[in-house]
Amino acid sequence: MSKFTHKLLCATIAGAFALAGSAFAQTAPDDAQIAGIVVAANQVDIDAGKLAQKTTKQAEVKSFAKQMVTDHTGVNKQAGALVKKLKVTPTDSDLSKSLKAGGAENIAKLKGLKGKEFDKAYVDHEVTYHQAVIDALDKTLIPNAKNAELKDTLVKTRPAFVAHLEHAKQLQSTMK
Amino acid sequence: MAFLLKRAGYALALLAALGPAVQAAPAVHTVLIDGMRFIPQTVEVKAGDTVVWRNKDPFPHTATATQSGSGGPSSPAIAPGASWRFKAAKPGSYPYLCTLHSTMTATLVVK
Ligand SMILES: [Cu+2]
Repeated sequence: MSKFTHKLLCATIAGAFALAGSAFAQTAPDDAQIAGIVVAANQVDIDAGKLAQKTTKQAEVKSFAKQMVTDHTGVNKQAGALVKKLKVTPTDSDLSKSLKAGGAENIAKLKGLKGKEFDKAYVDHEVTYHQAVIDALDKTLIPNAKNAELKDTLVKTRPAFVAHLEHAKQLQSTMK
Repeated sequence: MAFLLKRAGYALALLAALGPAVQAAPAVHTVLIDGMRFIPQTVEVKAGDTVVWRNKDPFPHTATATQSGSGGPSSPAIAPGASWRFKAAKPGSYPYLCTLHSTMTATLVVK
């Protein structure tokens, strides 16, 4: 991937979150929307991970991708059980929509790449994505969650995103 | 007389066998894995005790001694809701981590 497209991609993601952030300045997401954002955020990374698992030839990237699918699937299962228990239906919001759009864009881009270019683009996006979700958790999701159990789940999930970010950064540093 | 001595011998042997068990029955210690943390951070056990890691997170973790072959724990991936038992045999201090999430670290001390 060229430096330009990478920058553009990062700018797009950052822009989407900034936009969503400013939208929330007026209307904070309710619990149903927060649940929708959590589900979308995890699904985006599951989709990218599944594509990376079958595309990459590199063992470290493959095992990272496999773990992303496993961990984020686990978080979404837990989230699904929680919303069922709380009788909340996850609903869309600007942030969930921009996450899905960003995820689709990433998949489309990755599908056109192979070999080292694919690995680098995938891992670069994983770094940006996990950082963006951590920011969303800190600035938007955790502070606005009303239900105590939902808030607790978000707080407990945050360190997983941090660990994934560290892992992705470590992979990224081996690709320079 | 010889018979009595023999009986006393048996009784002593029986006591000797029971003795250590009565003094220090092997205990079972539980380490919870919850919210990407090992709880407690440091667990102190006696040689012969069992340590059980119980994973309450929605994804797998491991408990793996940072030094392999040291006599510390070396678990497979522990699935969500599952447990892994480890008999602590060799005294020592064993720092360990989750190999899947290396931000997760803790210590097992075997006295
Ligand atoms: Cu782990």
